[in-house]
Amino acid sequence: MKLKVFRYDGESGESRYDSFEIESGPGMTVLSALFKVQDELDDSLAFRYSCRGAVCGSCGMLINKVPRLACRTQAESLLKGEGQVKLRPFPGMEETADWDPETEVLVEPLPNLAKIKDLIVDMDKFFEFYRAVEPTFKPASETPEKERLMDHEAVSELEKYTNCVLCASCVGSCPISGREEEFLGPAALAKLYRFHIDPREADDDSRLLLANSKSGWWGCEFNANCKAVCPKGVPPILGIGKARREIQKLGKEPK
Amino acid sequence: MGGEETESGYPIHTHDVIIIGAGLTGLRAAIETVDAGLDTAVISKVHPLRSHSVAAQGGMNAALGNAQAGDSWEDHAFDTVKGSDYLADQDAVELMCKNAPGAVIELEHFGTVFSRLEDGKIAQRPFGGGMFPRTCYAADRTGHNILHTLYEQLMGRELEQSKESKGSKGSEGSKGRKRGGRITFYEEFFVTSLIKSGISSGEKGPAKGERCVGCTCINLADRTLHGFSCRALLLATGGFGRLFTRSTNALINTGDGASLALRAGVPLKDMEFVQFHPTTLYGTNILITEGARGEGGYLLNNKNERFMKAYVPKSMELAPRDIVARSIQQEIDEGRGFDNKYVLLDLRHLGKDKILERLPGIRLISVDFAGVDPVEEPIPVQPGQHYSMGGISVGNDLATELSGLYAAGECSCVSVHGANRLGGNSLLETVVFGKLAGQGIGKNLTSSGSGGRVGEEDKKAVLERLSEEAERVKALLTRDSGVKMAGLRDELKKLMFECFGVFREGKKMEEGLEKLLELKSRYPEVYIDNKSTVFNQALIYALELRGLFDIAEAVARGAIARNESRGSHARTDYPDRDDENFLAHTIYRLEDRGAEGKAKGITEGKPEGKPGIKPEGKPVLEYLPVRLGKFPVKERVY
Repeated sequence: MKLKVFRYDGESGESRYDSFEIESGPGMTVLSALFKVQDELDDSLAFRYSCRGAVCGSCGMLINKVPRLACRTQAESLLKGEGQVKLRPFPGMEETADWDPETEVLVEPLPNLAKIKDLIVDMDKFFEFYRAVEPTFKPASETPEKERLMDHEAVSELEKYTNCVLCASCVGSCPISGREEEFLGPAALAKLYRFHIDPREADDDSRLLLANSKSGWWGCEFNANCKAVCPKGVPPILGIGKARREIQKLGKEPK
Repeated sequence: MGGEETESGYPIHTHDVIIIGAGLTGLRAAIETVDAGLDTAVISKVHPLRSHSVAAQGGMNAALGNAQAGDSWEDHAFDTVKGSDYLADQDAVELMCKNAPGAVIELEHFGTVFSRLEDGKIAQRPFGGGMFPRTCYAADRTGHNILHTLYEQLMGRELEQSKESKGSKGSEGSKGRKRGGRITFYEEFFVTSLIKSGISSGEKGPAKGERCVGCTCINLADRTLHGFSCRALLLATGGFGRLFTRSTNALINTGDGASLALRAGVPLKDMEFVQFHPTTLYGTNILITEGARGEGGYLLNNKNERFMKAYVPKSMELAPRDIVARSIQQEIDEGRGFDNKYVLLDLRHLGKDKILERLPGIRLISVDFAGVDPVEEPIPVQPGQHYSMGGISVGNDLATELSGLYAAGECSCVSVHGANRLGGNSLLETVVFGKLAGQGIGKNLTSSGSGGRVGEEDKKAVLERLSEEAERVKALLTRDSGVKMAGLRDELKKLMFECFGVFREGKKMEEGLEKLLELKSRYPEVYIDNKSTVFNQALIYALELRGLFDIAEAVARGAIARNESRGSHARTDYPDRDDENFLAHTIYRLEDRGAEGKAKGITEGKPEGKPGIKPEGKPVLEYLPVRLGKFPVKERVY
């Protein structure tokens, strides 16, 4: 198979696509293909990695025009045309690259984040938005001696959002994140929603109001790319929708 | 990253405390030092949330007695000591197990979303080697949930500190926190060496008066060298799974901390005790949690037999990891596996609902990486390296022999795991000992007159080391031919798995060591093509590889010298435990060769006098008695 990889040099600002011929086999992931390139063909290729088991969130990249974790994407199944995801247009998707999906796997950096080198993007802005939602548990009650009790349903609802690995795939595919510089984006909003619904926090609107603006909940246009691409099944769009309805109920939506 | 520019051209950063590694141990320690009012820096070669702790699945042991009344810290301690094959230090185990319930409750108070029982309390599941269901969990994503929680706690402190510095009132901080604490993260910084200051005796071990005063790093983003000076430094760098071809570990787990310590003259302990997890996914060796067996999963051979009944009929699949791993390996070796490579882990009888509720991550991993849905089909599994019981030798106060240098978590050896760690005890170790390390450092640095200040002498030591490290990096980058990094690394990994794997044998290990030294002698010829200044990962791999060789030799020499079988160390030529001769910790250190720098003895044949290559210490083995306690040493039967 051929791996067609976006190359970028931040110093010169130059970019190009390199094609690497790789012997693929069953079970070969895009991440292992990238390592093969580094080990055998070109050790200057740069990409982030860590767990290689789809839990650390390092290797989010645009693969065949869909943001995915490279470690969890099987190269062969892509060539067979499996795992296609229908997405609404977003900036990186529309940039044309000449590629044949039957013989090639196209690998590019996540869109909507500044490029640094090859497949490595600048995550500073992503984590700035993460910090902006004050992602720290704020318990409503005094610290008890034992654990605070929680019921099953509350835990399963929370898990949908705590499963986020902050890989930025959602942000990479969000048309609004691509357009609006200040939009907090699906990952940060999902994180905020997670704290809002935590039954151990105060049952008030403080979390909701933290993003009660066009750069927060109200910036979303429900394209649903976030939910479609999330490798952990997190549904930011659902949280955002519910948050909005709650704010509307309180009559506090921004003018 | 700014830092103070010096005339040398290298940025130098000064903090009270430097923590290397941002997994559970590092972050838990940082919370403590920040709350003690100390200026704390956390250095990590990846973003903290990419640390390997995030991959921990099954859970954390604590005798909460939620799932079954009657459990106690004493029972937990007994299980741990027995699991360790009596090599753990019993006072250290007591410390860990007594602190366990508090540690789990504290994480819940920090915001971790643990799975719950019907009554709303934290859920617990059975794990191997435990007589009670005491493993607290967040589905099969326990590490992920806890790591995010601890990072979130530090984000909260960072926000408070920025409010404080803007002078806004009303940020008194929470109870028990001193003002003035600061946290700074240096992400994607690779530590290349530790720096000592004071008089060195040239004899074994760090000399009196010598202290650890900082470290040098490469910033991956631009390849610049940075100096760090500090009053206390904590190593929390995790394990070294990537020394073996088959490992559950993240690709970043190259044991950097153990090598840094060793090269600073600090000894390693019990390095031959390497845990092979029984159930890693065939193909990628991604972990399939022990929780899968805790929830009732069966292990099957190619005759469709639950073969564990032939090995440990009472505990079956829930015997400790060393025993299950050996049983699986024996099944495979004797032709009862599949393709002579794996056995099956069958979860089908648990039913879809239970699998989806308790093991959703395992299901995803099986589908994504092996194309197998455990609801429909058994999972192909084989043993793979998982954990290192050994590590940097520390006492119960997490201090090393070198003043100012601490180590905690997997990179350290306290020892609470002895010859075999029980599942659920490593997450526990990270938070209990991470916290204790942070508290210990806090106490030392804030009590008047101790802990020292960063002095001129120390800064000089940092500058000197920076130019040495610059020389070493330059030497590596200017080499244009020689030995390819990836090939050498892969040969090493293969060798280690073959000769120092699940089963070990004297002659094979001797040959393995010989080959290892031969590979090591090629390291000074390693070259890389990549000369880039931006995210030069080839350079980092090459630097990591030197550390891997350090560790490989420690594992090999410890394993060869230990003529017995104990816990994870299974010698086919010495199948029995030998308490008379080996109820002792192995201590491995590099003895300074003194000024002449001639390679003598065991590591003869190493090229000397090349730029950027210093003569290396002579490996020495010693033994340290195990601290026994209330649990008498007995035969280990399950």
